[in-house]
This record gives sequence, C-alpha cells and structure tokens, in this order.
Amino acid sequence: MPTSVAALAAYQSKDFKSDLKPIWCPGCGDFGVVQAIYRALAAIGRAPHDIAFVSGIGCSSRIPGYTTAYGFNSVHGRALPIAQGIKLANPDLLVLVASGDGDGFSIGGGHVPHAVRRNIDITYIVMDNQIYGLTKGQLSPTSPKGLKTVTSEYGSLEEPVNPLMYMLAYGAGFVGQGTPADMAGLADVIEQATRYPGFSFVNVQSPCVTFGEDDDQVKDHRANMKSLASLGHDPTDRLAAMGLAQGYGTDLHTGIFYKNPNPPPTFDAQMRVRQAELAPKALPRERILDMFVQR
Amino acid sequence: MTKTRSIDFSKLGLRDALDLATIIEEEAKERYQELADQMELHHNAAAAHFFRFMHDVEVIHERKLFERRTALFGKEPRTVDRGMIFDIEAPDYDSVRATMTPRQALHTALAAEVKAFEFFEASLPSVTDADVRELFTELRDEELEHQGLVQKQITALAPDDAITTEDMGDDPVAQ
Ligand SMILES: Cc1ncc(C[n+]2csc(CCOP(=O)(O)OP(=O)(O)O)c2C)c(N)n1
Ligand code: SF4
Repeated sequence: MPTSVAALAAYQSKDFKSDLKPIWCPGCGDFGVVQAIYRALAAIGRAPHDIAFVSGIGCSSRIPGYTTAYGFNSVHGRALPIAQGIKLANPDLLVLVASGDGDGFSIGGGHVPHAVRRNIDITYIVMDNQIYGLTKGQLSPTSPKGLKTVTSEYGSLEEPVNPLMYMLAYGAGFVGQGTPADMAGLADVIEQATRYPGFSFVNVQSPCVTFGEDDDQVKDHRANMKSLASLGHDPTDRLAAMGLAQGYGTDLHTGIFYKNPNPPPTFDAQMRVRQAELAPKALPRERILDMFVQR
Repeated sequence: MTKTRSIDFSKLGLRDALDLATIIEEEAKERYQELADQMELHHNAAAAHFFRFMHDVEVIHERKLFERRTALFGKEPRTVDRGMIFDIEAPDYDSVRATMTPRQALHTALAAEVKAFEFFEASLPSVTDADVRELFTELRDEELEHQGLVQKQITALAPDDAITTEDMGDDPVAQ
C-alpha cells in the first residue's frame, strides 16, 4: 500500500488541550489561535510538561490555561520578564508567551526591546486585536488612527504602533504574522517560531468580535490576506521584510517576514558557557549563604 | 489557504482516506460540542440545543466511517492525524455569536456542510486510487444531501423575532 502521509507524530493536538472550557465571547479570534497553538505544539513533539506558557493579563492571556503545558497567567504587561526568568532558571523548558496588543505594547512595551536584544530563546505570540478586549473596548496602541472607542469618543488622534516594524527594528531573529482565518498557516508560523533558536515573535491578527471594528473581520481576513511565500518574499532579507512590514494596518501579510539565517548565540546558551567557565572557581553554596549571615 | 498538511492526495489509499474522512467528522463533532458549550455558557439554550443535535449527527457519521474502516482494515494503525486537517467540516469559530438565533445557528451548520462539499470536490482531481475516488464522490454527494436537510429546516423555521442581535449588544462601558 502506498504511504500517502508522513509518520504519525508523538503527540496529538488533544494532548495539549486542557479541561478548562474557554470563556471567550463566541466568535472571538482567540478560539482559532489556541487551536493553531495545539497543532503547532503537537508538531514540535515536546511533552506538555516540557513546556512553560506564560502570559500577562487580558482575554488573550487566558491561553496558557487552555493548554496542558505549565502555565503562568501573570501580571499585566510583565509576561516577558517572567518568561525570561523561567527560561534562565530552566533552559531545558520550551518557553512560550501569550499576550495582547495592550499587554505587549502598552503597559509591557518597555520590556520588548530588552527581551529582543537579550535574545533569550522564547517565543512571543501577541494576539493583536487592536483593542483592549478584557476591559471592554478601550483604545490600544495598535488601534487604527480615527478609531472611536470609549476612551477616544471622537476618534483616536494617534498613529498606531507597528508591531512588526518594532520587532524588526530592534533586531528580532524571527518575525512572523498569522490569522485564525488561516489556521494551517498560523500553526505553521507558530511552529517555525518555536523552532527558531532565539527570541521569536508572532503577531496574530485575532479579531475581537465584541469590541472590535466590525463583525466580519475573519471573513475580511480570508478575502484579503496574502501569504508572503506566494509573493516570493525571501525571509532571510531583513530590509525586504521591513518594506513589507510597513504595510501593517492596510495589508494583511501572513507567514514569515524575517528569519535570521545565522542565528547568533542566545543569552541562555551564553549564560551556560559562562557558568561552566566560572564553576571551578565557584564557592560552595554554604559559603555563599555564610556571606549573608551576620556573625 | 490550505486545509490539509502533509497529505499527498495522489498517493492516498482507501485506508488512509477512510481515516481522513473519520477525523474530518471527529473535528466537526468536537467543534459542535465546543459551540454548544459556548452557547450554554452564554445562556443561549436554543442555539446550544441545535449545536448538540449537530454534534450527535456527526457522532453517527464518524461511527459509520470507523466501522467501515474496521471491517476492511481491522486494527491496522492509523497514519493520519488531526494535525493534518484544518476546519474541513467543522463550523467556523467566527460564525457564532452569544446572542445568535436558531436560524443563524442553522446557517452556521449549512456553511460547514458547504465547506465539506467543497473540500471533497477540490480534492477529487488529485485522487488517483479508484476506491478513494468512489469514497470521496460518495462523501461529496452526502454533503450535498446534508445541505438540503439543513436548508429544509431553515425554511420550516418560524421567522426570527424582530429584535436582532445588534439590539441586544451592550454599548462598551469604560471601566
Ligand atoms: C497593572 C494593571 N493595569 C491595568 C489593568 C487592567 N487591564 C486588564 S487587561 C487590560 C488590557 C487588555 O488588552 P490586551 O492586552 O490588548 O488584551 P485583550 O483583552 O484584548 O486580549 C487592562 C488595561 C490590570 N489588570 N493591571
Ligand atoms: S472581549 Fe473581544 S477579545 Fe475578549 S473574549 Fe470577547 S471577543 Fe475575544
């Protein structure tokens, strides 16, 4: 019998699905995102107990609770520092971060450049719905100019943050984008981001159907998205990636904008080398503790 | 937009095709369950009831395909898994709303049946195995039948209330 498919993976999507039932609004884009995450994790083939999923606060930050990985639904805007700490404490864990555009680029925005330049091997997935969902529809840093919300009654006067340019400009080694309108494509970008050895970023255009701009966002995504691969984009070309990323807000490009073909050493790897170098000179733990004890 | 991953339809044999059809029903069954749960959580009993009914229908379809596969291939291991298919007959997440009417729920199911029909229709030209071709043709035609059944229910339904979901949505309130 001819074999028509690849060999079965060690883990199936259902192995990553927790017993908690999502309480998102029916129709929320995050339902599709979490499905794509299950599939990406199944494809990666690491056991749920080898994975730590960190988030801040927001509707999107509920994602870790819906997976069987170790989860930490932490503090608004502080998911990145916590995830970096986890990776440094236990470098063998696969560390993923789920965030919203408010959590990631507003209150947590100050952490982004440092996580990127430090290049710790974590994957940052931002559910970019261009609104604060959990707190009922306030303006977010990625809201389009002119958007009327409860905090911009007459329309926003500010240009939105461009998360793709932000990450590329700071030097992230992997930058991708997806939408739940193309779950297979999204699962693929998340899988590739997770496999990238270093800081990786996936911007997910995940519509908020309750407070978002209009009701048919996923349908619009289906009709208008353009895969970067179909445009012939070379994901090793950072300048070309920046050119395409400028279309954020008008074009919906999906796939990989940039993947560094020569990933530099990660912070966690360098730290292990440093620890190994210093180990012979290290004081025994008791001696270190002694230094803090008043005699 | 691709709906499958790592599947080469030109090499698909009957066993894998039956397994594929089974997991397509499994995915739809689970999605209806999820949608029913969502509706219950949001106190929409009518839509929840319909999605549970659709879940039970998909359970029967899945079981029939599985029995057929077992009769032909016994306990031969499966080589297709859920990571290879995406939303083929599963109703779209974005097609539901907390305050949807039974009519809208039926339209969600109708759209799912149309999607499944289109999947088999689009796959058929790449299929080379005669048995698989026959199976996919049968399944495609069944999807058309299902569409007819759902359509009938839509026609039989009493008109929706004059109040629409838009009338029921809260205006956002600053926190
Ligand atoms: C320190 C702090 N400030 C403010 C809040 C209130 N708050 C909770 S979630 C949120 C924003 C949510 O928006 P986003 O991060 O975009 O996630 P979404 O809900 O849209 O997925 C805010 C302002 C908080 N919980 N903690
Ligand atoms: S408020 Fe928006 S982001 Fe939050 S669950 Fe509802 S639809 Fe999703």
